[in-house]
Amino acid sequence: MNRPSPLVIPIRLGASTLILAHQIGGLALLLARIVARLIRPRIDRHELIRNLHLMGVRSVPIVMATAAFTGAIMVVQAAPLLVRFNAREWVGWGATYTTFREVGPLLIALIFNGRVGANNAAELGTMVVTEQIDALRALAIDPINYLVLPRLISMVFTLFALTILGDAVALLGSMLTGYVLLDVSPRTFWNSVSTMIETWDLFSGLIKSTLFGGLIALTSCHFGLTVRGGAPGVGRGVNAAVVAAAAGIFIVDYLCTFILG
Amino acid sequence: MIRVQSVHKRFRRHVLKGVSLEIKKGEVFALIGPGASGKSVLFKSIAGLLPIDDGSIEVDRSEITQMDEFELAELRKRMGYLFQNYALFDFLTVGQNIAFPLRRLLNLSDNEVAHRVAERLERVNLSGFQDRDIRQLSGGQKKRVGFARATVTKPPIRLYDEPTAGLDPVTSQKIYDLILADQREVGATVVVISSDVAGVMTIADRVGMLLRGELIFEGTAEEAQRADDPRVLQFVHGHTEGPL
Repeated sequence: MNRPSPLVIPIRLGASTLILAHQIGGLALLLARIVARLIRPRIDRHELIRNLHLMGVRSVPIVMATAAFTGAIMVVQAAPLLVRFNAREWVGWGATYTTFREVGPLLIALIFNGRVGANNAAELGTMVVTEQIDALRALAIDPINYLVLPRLISMVFTLFALTILGDAVALLGSMLTGYVLLDVSPRTFWNSVSTMIETWDLFSGLIKSTLFGGLIALTSCHFGLTVRGGAPGVGRGVNAAVVAAAAGIFIVDYLCTFILG
Repeated sequence: MIRVQSVHKRFRRHVLKGVSLEIKKGEVFALIGPGASGKSVLFKSIAGLLPIDDGSIEVDRSEITQMDEFELAELRKRMGYLFQNYALFDFLTVGQNIAFPLRRLLNLSDNEVAHRVAERLERVNLSGFQDRDIRQLSGGQKKRVGFARATVTKPPIRLYDEPTAGLDPVTSQKIYDLILADQREVGATVVVISSDVAGVMTIADRVGMLLRGELIFEGTAEEAQRADDPRVLQFVHGHTEGPL
């Protein structure tokens, strides 16, 4: 029986490190190209409006449903503790604080990544394998200006707006669940929110959602535009885009939580 | 004028092995050869869509291997490129696809754009197709829409990759006639890749044959018909017996 070579693990580690470095380099290069174009932006208005509609308007139902259940789940999880310590009147503060600062931006970004990021990577990947990106370049159209910039702006703006909407819906979900499960009146709920929650609690979450939007745009555009190998390659690209963006969201979230307080 | 000198390109295999050729201004040059011989790679290299590993490519006396993406974009404004697999934008209609380069490269009124689109569609036998969805078209129709898009700005350099693939003989002949008529109208330099060797020979001033990444023949259509190289003769005459 052949014994596995002792070099197998270092070789695999080295290969994985090279792949990671290649992808991070590609992301940095795309970011540099985007920044260079932002100095004198020439954004296609039609593409911008089309993407705002596709990414924003069509994401509203799924974001609202996710947010409503998120708000409700937080109250359901907190209910036993709040009852034990007779702290029902704090439910509004607790639910809103965690929603605004953490759960709202995070969950909505993950949903957005699965819906919009995956779709964006698939669309760009399909354009690569059907030579539509080459066709744009052959027609002297810069794919970064024409495709990437409108998508980046649309994703950042729509995720920001969807987070505000999601926060509001999650609040309503918490309020309704608090009333049904803990018999906390909407007035009591709102009192704890208005006295305990600060504007910064909302803004810190919105800063995170802006960064998440940029991250999802960057990763989905990068993995979409670097697709190789036909339809299976598109599948691999979409998978890599979603996984990389999800991992990046958690890393950025961790760093932001430290920095923003 | 297009001058290709000792061009090498490798992917997993060595696709172009020191290809050199010169295409004169205003000439129709046919590039023939079996599948996977490097024809489309050479086309993309000429348009600056694929970087080459070694050698040089001059288009109108400008060395494209030294150009950045913005300089290449300026050069490509003077090029029309028909892709082998159409490369039509599937989020746009037929009319929008053809109007795309007009709206972005030329400062024309909506009426002028609509007029030019209608004229191109009529020339490729697709009158009234402006509002059709790209996904509703057959392969041959897509090829003709791609041809209309590549020529609508009347570029002085035209690269057609398999312009008649998937077309019936009558429509193929109409496309060849159109290639010639367009070429005479603006004196364009035309390079055509075609598997329809007999058809493309009728319009070509000169012919080049690529085989496994090497240019094994360059000459007129008549010279190709009676070439000394048995590989060229077999390919041009379509014989099943021979060295290929």
